[in-house]
Amino acid sequence: MIHFISKRLKHSLVLLFMASLVCFTLVVSAPGNVAVLIAELRGAVATPGYVEQVEEEIGLNKPLLMRYVDWLGDAVRGDFGISYRTGQDVSADLANRMLVTGTLIAGSAVIATLISLALGFLGAFWPYRLPDRVSRGLALLGASTPTFFVGALMIYAFSVTFQLLPSFGFDGPKSWILPWLTIAVLPAAVLSRVVRVGLEEAMVSPFVLTAKSKGLGRTAILFREALPNITPIFINALGTQVGLMTATAIIVEPLFAWQGVGDYFLAGVRFRDFMVVQACLLIFLTFFIVVNLIVDLAVLLTDPRIRRQWS
Amino acid sequence: MHDEPLLNVSNLTVNLLTAKSALRPVDDVSYSVRQGECLAIVGESGSGKTVMNFAPLGLMPTGVTTMLSGSVKLEGRELIGLPEAEIQKLRGKSVGFIFQDPMSALNPVRRIGRQIAEMAELHLDMTPSAAEARALELVKLVGISDPMARLRQYPHELSGGLRQRIVIAIALAGEPKLLIADEPTTALDVTVQAQILRLLKDVQRRLNMAMVLITHDMGVVAGAADNIVVMYAARAAECGPVDKVLVSPRHPYTRGLINAIPRREDPIGSEFRGLPGIPPTLGAPIKGCALQPRCELAVPACGNSRPPLVRSDDSAVLVACPVVNQGKAAA
Repeated sequence: MIHFISKRLKHSLVLLFMASLVCFTLVVSAPGNVAVLIAELRGAVATPGYVEQVEEEIGLNKPLLMRYVDWLGDAVRGDFGISYRTGQDVSADLANRMLVTGTLIAGSAVIATLISLALGFLGAFWPYRLPDRVSRGLALLGASTPTFFVGALMIYAFSVTFQLLPSFGFDGPKSWILPWLTIAVLPAAVLSRVVRVGLEEAMVSPFVLTAKSKGLGRTAILFREALPNITPIFINALGTQVGLMTATAIIVEPLFAWQGVGDYFLAGVRFRDFMVVQACLLIFLTFFIVVNLIVDLAVLLTDPRIRRQWS
Repeated sequence: MHDEPLLNVSNLTVNLLTAKSALRPVDDVSYSVRQGECLAIVGESGSGKTVMNFAPLGLMPTGVTTMLSGSVKLEGRELIGLPEAEIQKLRGKSVGFIFQDPMSALNPVRRIGRQIAEMAELHLDMTPSAAEARALELVKLVGISDPMARLRQYPHELSGGLRQRIVIAIALAGEPKLLIADEPTTALDVTVQAQILRLLKDVQRRLNMAMVLITHDMGVVAGAADNIVVMYAARAAECGPVDKVLVSPRHPYTRGLINAIPRREDPIGSEFRGLPGIPPTLGAPIKGCALQPRCELAVPACGNSRPPLVRSDDSAVLVACPVVNQGKAAA
């Protein structure tokens, strides 16, 4: 167990280092010069001389390797530098926004889990009957509707038409509901199929015949015998979906006028604010890697067969 | 009351309907088992021996429509026509099942202790802690060493023989009166087969249960069973006490089966003696004797009508062969 964790931690660190390289390279190789924009932002005429002065000021004229080492060294200590656009400390900006995005993703993950389990069980309990068909239809609809459109529909239905929930900004706990639902729709749809198919597969395995011969009913077999068998598969799929939620957050946060990491990232990209873009990318990647690490551990805890290989 | 068999099957016919086909894997078969007795049902794959025992107790795969006719009485209670909810109550409680492949019969992600204990909770109304104690008792009963540790283990941590012992413990946990063992030794190593068979026989005697032993292994039959039903192509070919049927088989199919067992005096490298031909498919109804195309005794009259199961020269043995029965009449 300890061996497994330490091995995975080492992998994760290597992965993070490589991710930081990719982040930096991508951002540096993007076209355009941020020094010109900064010069214009300061109200000055962007003469070549002034632009050069700005470049020197923010360290753009240093060799790339130096810039990377400087940036990574600071980032490891939690210092993501100063935003080119606002002149503010990126780390301070991010602290609040990470809390917002984190809560958004965590809530959506819980909702997606509940909805997908409910839909999947419904389908598995009455396979090929009406509840199964409804569940499959909803999954297809949810998986094929773009998130921004889902969000717009939610706002139209719950805020504009019925005026039940706030449409944007933060106005009490109720404000979480629409963004949570919007982000949860796609993963819930995908995961419900994982649950349904996994349960169906488990329900035809020989140990289910044994369970039936014990006198257990269908409900007991589904929950006691089949569910523990699909838990590792489900956790794996959930991990992937939660990782992808960072991408959805970039779309959903501006839609609901929420100031999260996604919104910050988008603003950074628009202004070629390298410091902000790099910091956000690195945070997204770290999140992805951490989620994967947690998934591996959770699978280890739910599947005794894998646990044995590592004990 | 004592005279009434625990399980009495008469004229059982099973029809299976799937989306694509209709089959009759069991055609008008009768047999019975008394308390403390062991009945062996023998036949090759597809002869209907498993379906015959599983279908009346509702253990058929989903997606298959099962139609039963005839009568199956368990402790005098008719099972055919009983709603599934009622049959579910009998499974595990009155009838324990043992399956062919212990490697897949246990849930891989649940602890063995739980898989046994839930039976006691379900059928004996035990509290979880009492059920755990009962599980421990059962694991000892089926002869597993270090029982405490076993209960906390998962199936993949045990060998095939140990797993089959666990499956037996599960089958015994509800204190059933009837044990149905479907090829309980087929998937095991030869060295373990004898142990498991001895264990089964031992618990059956000790707990005075009735047992139906489904097998295609004549060695298993000789060692364990009191009576035997030989199945061929969904029908019973011959039935009677094991000592009589195995010693002097009358039906040509039974003779073929026994003759097919390799003998010690066979020279090394000699051919196996099998029955020529293959068994018929069960899709179309067979008019005459199902064995006719493979039978050495066959005469044209065999194809006319289905041979009835008739008392042979030994009144305890029933044979369904017109030629054998005619010979008896002539004698």
